[in-house]
Amino acid sequence: MKSKKALSGGTKDGYIFILPAFFYMLLVLGYPLVYNLVLSFKNVDVKNFTKGGSVFVGLENYIHLFNDDTFLLVLRNTFIFTIACLVFQFTIGFAFAMFFNQKFKVSGPIRGMILVSYMMPMSVTGLLGKNIFANDGLVNDLLSKIGINGPEWLVTGATALIAVIIMNCWVGIPFNMLLLMSGLTSVSQDVYESASIDGANWVEKFVFITLPLMKGSIMAVLMLGFIYTFRAFDLMYIMTAGGPLNATDVLGTYSYVRSFTQFEFSEGSAIAMVLFACLFVIGLFYLRLLAKEDD
Amino acid sequence: MFKSKEGRKELINSIIAILIAILFLFPIYWLVQISFKSDSETFGKILTYFPHEFTVEPWLVNLTDPTFLMSLRNSFINGFLTMGIALLMGVPAAYGMGRFKVRGSHVFLLTFLVAQMLPASLTLTPMYLIFNKLNILGTHFTAPIAIAAASIPFAVVTLRPYFKSVPKALDEAARLDGCGALKSFLFVMIPAVKTGIITIVVISFLNGWNDLIYSMTFNVSAEMRPLTANIYKFQNAYGTKWNCIMAYGTILVIPVVLLFIFLQKYIVGGLVAGAVKD
Repeated sequence: MKSKKALSGGTKDGYIFILPAFFYMLLVLGYPLVYNLVLSFKNVDVKNFTKGGSVFVGLENYIHLFNDDTFLLVLRNTFIFTIACLVFQFTIGFAFAMFFNQKFKVSGPIRGMILVSYMMPMSVTGLLGKNIFANDGLVNDLLSKIGINGPEWLVTGATALIAVIIMNCWVGIPFNMLLLMSGLTSVSQDVYESASIDGANWVEKFVFITLPLMKGSIMAVLMLGFIYTFRAFDLMYIMTAGGPLNATDVLGTYSYVRSFTQFEFSEGSAIAMVLFACLFVIGLFYLRLLAKEDD
Repeated sequence: MFKSKEGRKELINSIIAILIAILFLFPIYWLVQISFKSDSETFGKILTYFPHEFTVEPWLVNLTDPTFLMSLRNSFINGFLTMGIALLMGVPAAYGMGRFKVRGSHVFLLTFLVAQMLPASLTLTPMYLIFNKLNILGTHFTAPIAIAAASIPFAVVTLRPYFKSVPKALDEAARLDGCGALKSFLFVMIPAVKTGIITIVVISFLNGWNDLIYSMTFNVSAEMRPLTANIYKFQNAYGTKWNCIMAYGTILVIPVVLLFIFLQKYIVGGLVAGAVKD
């Protein structure tokens, strides 16, 4: 009987503890979210944001965006950046997770050390990227040692995007490794042993045991990875400022520049709404996955 | 024979692991080593892989600059205020959701999970306009208020399972001793989930310390900005003096490394719990 009831006391007490945080979220995230949506249907810019006098313009901002070549380029960049990062950080992160999941002495400490790149300020990662990928920086120096004449990484668009992706993977790999390791530890060793007895090699074990049993963790890592990568801002802002010529601009940076450099607040809001819409789709899948795990 | 084979595998794995660490952490070594180079070496034609003319001058340039010290102070304020709000709001909410059967708990959980996914870009402009109206732009509180909106959900999602797993007998005993809900929360439950609390303390501090976008948007004057948000200012001032820039960057990374050295197990466990829920 009692176990059906509350653990610590009455239901009312529960609300007292939860509601402050809940209202905080509504006030600090919920209200701005709605505000942002409204803003994206208006024409707030530098002229009227303090004085008032902005009017509703319907879908004008969105129509303008999807006819704007720069925005379409930025949208494309965001997807290329996100997908490239996901592929590399997931693959390498998975390999790291499998490797460090073996029991050997230095495994724990080194795994921990690798996480520093994930936890350090992204703006410093941006500084580092700017230095390493400079024309006479570390990367080109190493390339010249093996006889390759490195490109001017951050000066040409395509290579700048590659450089940004590499720096972001450096941050994403430990994150993927960490989450995938927690998935790996939940796979029982007995399954592998009985598979070994049946004569399975490591490829078969990986494809027929590890992958299916890890399906939940893999989906979670990919979706979370998408959510965190798609909204990138700090790295590009410091490393390339979105350049050269918007080649490394993503929705996050472009929205910021429109709002706070060019003071086109409504258009910045519309860009942020597009960013949100993309995250929302993936977010729904992620929440469904969590709900499934809960049952 | 068997034993030596195991031993060899251990040795090979250890060597590979150390090689991975060296390769992977090389950029951090790079950051630090440049910060100890002299100006002439930094501008030299040949790229050196360690400081040939070792000097702490780039560090002194930063540490004797009043704007730098002000920014450093602001970084700490950002970290501690974010931590404070996250603890004050997040810990009770996690307790409420972990220990009470409340109607609508799914709605609450969903709210926190969704909040964790929202990008800063989405709420930045409205917050800026709202703070502008409230006339609190350029105070120390604005950025932490916004950053904590991500730290609170993290605290709730991470701590909820901790509270759930505390044996029921513990707070029942407190009840019998005449403790109210608040008292048993403060003196029985919080000490029982100490490990989880340390995770929240560290991660929410780092959330505040690492923030760039809110801090630079809500604070226009350099005196109010933390180190992250003043990077451009110092980059302009230092030009291509990469030794000074890297000393600046190294100082920003030091707290992260220190926290990792001393509290690694709390951070690692918490990150997993916070990211994948239960």
